[in-house]
Amino acid sequence: MGSIVGGIGVSHAPSLARAYDEGLSDHPDWADVFAMFPPAAEWLAGLDPDALVVVYNDHMNRFFFDAYPTFALGVADEYPQADEGWGLRPLPDLVGDSDLGWHLARSLVADEFDPTVCQEMVVDHGVYSVLPFLAEPPWSTPIVPVAVNVIRHPLPTPGRCFRLGQAIARAVASYPDDRRVVVVATGGMSHQLHGPDFGHLAPEWDNQFLDLLERDPSQLCQLDHSDYMQRGGAESVEIIMWLAMRGAVGGSARRLHRAYAAPMLTGYGLISFEPA
Amino acid sequence: MPDMTVFTGERSRQGYRINKLASSLTEPANREAFLADEDAYCRRYGLTDQERQLIAERDWNGIVAAGGNIYLFIKIAATIGSNLVAVGARMRGESVEEFLATRPVNQGP
Repeated sequence: MGSIVGGIGVSHAPSLARAYDEGLSDHPDWADVFAMFPPAAEWLAGLDPDALVVVYNDHMNRFFFDAYPTFALGVADEYPQADEGWGLRPLPDLVGDSDLGWHLARSLVADEFDPTVCQEMVVDHGVYSVLPFLAEPPWSTPIVPVAVNVIRHPLPTPGRCFRLGQAIARAVASYPDDRRVVVVATGGMSHQLHGPDFGHLAPEWDNQFLDLLERDPSQLCQLDHSDYMQRGGAESVEIIMWLAMRGAVGGSARRLHRAYAAPMLTGYGLISFEPA
Repeated sequence: MPDMTVFTGERSRQGYRINKLASSLTEPANREAFLADEDAYCRRYGLTDQERQLIAERDWNGIVAAGGNIYLFIKIAATIGSNLVAVGARMRGESVEEFLATRPVNQGP
């Protein structure tokens, strides 16, 4: 039987990927962001999970608006890196867990969540920008990617994302063999990437979100998308994906790590939970 | 509250040609074709005269108003050798230096 052994919420960004590739850990723009990761990475290495279920969003690198799924689930044994328009990074492809992926597909659909089931997926910075900070490549831990539409409205509600996480937890719990799974959700925190308010940051709100995610996620589920966008910027609405992680680890989960920095374009957060 | 253009279905319909062109730039060969003859590439994707002009002028705010999505038109910017900070500064009506001066990391303690 499978079990969820941890949950991580973490921001993603192409600039984070570039900072990693250029080794900017000591650069003043990035030092505080780089410093967020090592304690959680060390904890994750110690957990040594059998798989990561990664809830993220695709930035029109696997899917386009001709057919953009509200939820999509990978069931492949490998996930190549997407060329997002500026070439590939010197990183390996990701290993998938097809058995766990198909099990999630059956369980989620039986549970009345109906993701688009994908036998091929390239994966973009929604996964690739944060993974090297959480685990040194090359990576041996397989992943199951779950993509959420947080870009083209109408978006799934925050509460729906939370319940998706609960459904992922039920799926993992019903896995026939032992599988210790960590659920990672990426995206956010405050940022706006278009128009005259490009660069909007909201550290106070971001920290309030972290408080509520830990203590009372139901309050976050009751907000609507415009609440998120007005507080954190239009593109920050993607933070609702963290509710899937929170739903997966369960109400009585204990918060382990928490870090935050907002030096430049994006509020970067990291939070981790251990199920009770 | 930030000034924003929410990417609705209506905007996605309006911006479909620009966004589809931008999406194609995930292929290296398409980036080369775009750089070799931008206007011809834009015509291939059926862009209107006005849409072609927005791209020619790197009018990012105009592209937003025409239904362009940042996650897509950043691929156009990257193809021509620009980047998110430069695009963002331009949308704010600032130079890159002016924009960077507004960032918390450059605001002192």
